[in-house]
Amino acid sequence: MTLITSKVCVVGDFAVGKTSVVERFVNNQFSEKYLTTIGVKVDTKEIDLPLRHVTQKLIIWDVAGSDHFGDSEISYLRGSAGFIFVVDGTRPQTLKTARSLRRQIEAKYDRRPSVMLANKKDLTNAWEISADQIESLADDYDAVYRTSAKTGDDIETALIRLADLIVGRELHE
Amino acid sequence: MSLPGHVIEYLQDAFAAETRPFCFLIDEHGSLVATWGDPAWCGLQDFAPGTNMLEATPYIVGILDDEPHKLNFVTTGAGVIVHLRTIPHESQHYVVLLDAGEQHDFLQQKQQSSNELRLLHRGQQRLIARQRDLISDLVEAKAELDHLRREAERSSASKSQFIAMMSHEFRTPLASIVNYADLALEDGVSDNQIHKSIEAIGRSGRHLTSLVEALLDDARLEGGHIELREKFFDLYDLLDDLAAMMAPLAAEKALSYATLVDADVPRRVRADEVRLRQILINLLGNAIKFTEEGSIRLLVTYHDGRLAAAIIDTGPGISAEDQDKVFRAFERGSQSGRAGAGLGLTITMRLAHLMGGDISLDSSPGRGCTVSVHVPVSTAPTADSRQDPALPTPDEDVCATRPTSILILDDDEDMLALIEHYLHRAGYGLIVSSSGSEAISKAVAYKPDLVILDVNIPGINGIDVALNLRRQGFDKPIVALTASTLSAAEQASFTRYFQKPAKMPALLAEVKRLTHDD
Repeated sequence: MTLITSKVCVVGDFAVGKTSVVERFVNNQFSEKYLTTIGVKVDTKEIDLPLRHVTQKLIIWDVAGSDHFGDSEISYLRGSAGFIFVVDGTRPQTLKTARSLRRQIEAKYDRRPSVMLANKKDLTNAWEISADQIESLADDYDAVYRTSAKTGDDIETALIRLADLIVGRELHE
Repeated sequence: MSLPGHVIEYLQDAFAAETRPFCFLIDEHGSLVATWGDPAWCGLQDFAPGTNMLEATPYIVGILDDEPHKLNFVTTGAGVIVHLRTIPHESQHYVVLLDAGEQHDFLQQKQQSSNELRLLHRGQQRLIARQRDLISDLVEAKAELDHLRREAERSSASKSQFIAMMSHEFRTPLASIVNYADLALEDGVSDNQIHKSIEAIGRSGRHLTSLVEALLDDARLEGGHIELREKFFDLYDLLDDLAAMMAPLAAEKALSYATLVDADVPRRVRADEVRLRQILINLLGNAIKFTEEGSIRLLVTYHDGRLAAAIIDTGPGISAEDQDKVFRAFERGSQSGRAGAGLGLTITMRLAHLMGGDISLDSSPGRGCTVSVHVPVSTAPTADSRQDPALPTPDEDVCATRPTSILILDDDEDMLALIEHYLHRAGYGLIVSSSGSEAISKAVAYKPDLVILDVNIPGINGIDVALNLRRQGFDKPIVALTASTLSAAEQASFTRYFQKPAKMPALLAEVKRLTHDD
C-alpha cells in the first residue's frame, strides 16, 4: 500500500459542528458541550483505500468557524488538497455562509475536491433545510451528505469519499 | 525604528521567556538539520538530525514554500497551542513554535461567550417567529370561528325570520278563507255576498298555492331536483305574453311598460321556456312591485348563443349592502316590509344558474335598478321574419264593438305609448299627437269618436285644446287624463276627467261607454 499524505480543511460557520465531525471521525467520540475553536486544530487520521492500494494519511485542519475569512484564516488553507464544508441543517443561514466561504477559497486557491456535510441530521424536528436546497448543492460540491456527528451517520462515508477524490486527483496528476 | 541595544536585549529576553520559542531547521525533504530551544513544552522530543519532521509535526505539511508564513493559534495533535512561523532560507526552512496557550484561553473565553450569545439570540428569534406563527394561526382560527358563528346566527335568524314571515303569509289568506266561509254560511246572506265570498276564498287559495309552489320550487332547486325541459319555442310570443301580463300591472300604478327587442334576437330558440318565463315574470313582477313612478323596460339582446334580458326600472334602487342580500332566501333587504316570501330572486337566480346562465344587478339608491339575466340558448334557422306581435284580446266589456277612432294628446312618450297600447288592444283606431296645435288640426281633419287630452303640456294646453274644439263645433266626448288637479270650472271643459295614475280598466270602460252608448 502506498502512503499518501494530504492536508484537508474543515470550514463553515460557527457552531455547525466542525470540531464534532472531526472528533467523530478521528476518535469516534462526541461531546454535547459546545467549545469554540480558536485558530485551527490539527488532527491526523489514516484511511485505507484498498481499491486504490493506497493508505491515505489525512492531516485535518479544523478551522475556527466564521462567516468570512480574514487574511490570517485564509492562510490556514494553504496547501489544502481538499475541503470539507459543514452546515447546520437547523440554520439555513449557514448554507449561505458555506457558499460565501467557498467563493472566497476559490478566489484564492485552485479548485480542490470538496464535500458538503449538512450536519445535525439527528435534530429532525428543528431541521429547516429542504431536500430541494440540498439537491441544489450537487453542482457546487463533489458530494453532499446529511450527517450527524452525534450519531456518526455518514461522517466516515463522507471523509472516505473526499480522501478517494483527493487520491484520484493526485494519481491522475 | 531603532531601540537602544540593551532595550532590545530586554525585550528579546521577555519575549523568549513568555513564548518559549522552539526552533528547528529542515531541509528540502523535511528532514531535521538542527534544533534550538526546549521542545518539551510543545509535546516534542529531542529529535535526532535526519528525523522526518513532516511526520513528527504534520501541521507543517503543505505550508512550506518560498514565503515566510505566520499561523496563529495552531492546536497540535498533542493538544498544545502554538503560534507557528515558517521562514524559508535557501532550500531549507526554519520552523518556529511559540507558546500561545495563555492568549488562546483568554480569546476562547471571549469568543465562546460571543458565540453562545449569538446562538441564544437565534433561539429567541426562532421562538418569537414560532410565537408569531401561533398567534397568526390563532387569529385565523378565531376569524374562521367568528365567520362560522355569524353564519350560524344568520342562518338561525333567517330561519326564525322565515317562520315568522311564513306564519304571517299563511295566516292572512287562511284567515280570509275561514272568515269568508263563515260569512257564506250565515243566515240571510245574499247570493251576491256568497258569490263574493267564494271569489275571495278562491283568491286566497290561489295565493296559498303560489306560496307553497315557491317554497317547493326553492327546495327543489336547492336540492338539485329540477330538470330542464328544453325545446324550441317562439321567443317573441313569450315576450308578447309577458307584455300582456305585465303592462296592465304597470298601468295600474301609472307606470309605462315597454319591451325593446334587439334586431339580432332570434325568433325561435331552444331553452326551457317554462323556466325562462318564470325568471322573467319574477324579475318584471319585482320591478313593478318596487317602482312607484316612471317606467319598466325589458330590453332583450342576443350575442354568441347567449340571450340577455335586462329589466330596467326607475324604482328606489338598491343599496350595495342590500344587493348582497336580495338573492339570499328569505331576505329582502330594506324592502322586507313588502308582501312575498322573499324567495323570488333566490329562485330566479337558481333557475338562471340551472340553465347555465347568470344574473347580475346594477343599482344604487335613487337611480333605479337594472337586473340582467344571461342564459345560453340554441337557435334554429327560420324563414320567419319578425312580425308585430298579436296582442291578446282584453275583456269584452272594454273592447270596441264597432269601428271607433280615438285621438290622444300627451307630450310624455311613455304615457302615450301606454295608452296607445291599451286602446289598441281593445280594438280602437288611434290618432296620436304630442302637441296641442297638432291635436286640434288632427281632430278637425279626422273627426275622431273621442278625444283624450293631457292638460299640462307645453304650448296650447289641454284645456285650451278642448275649448278650441268646442268652439269649432266638435261635439264628441273629450276626456281629460292628467296628473294635474282641475278646478270645477276647468273640469267643465271636458266630458270626463281622469287623474293620473288612472286605473286602465276604468278608463277603458269609460271610453267604451262614451263611444258606444247611443
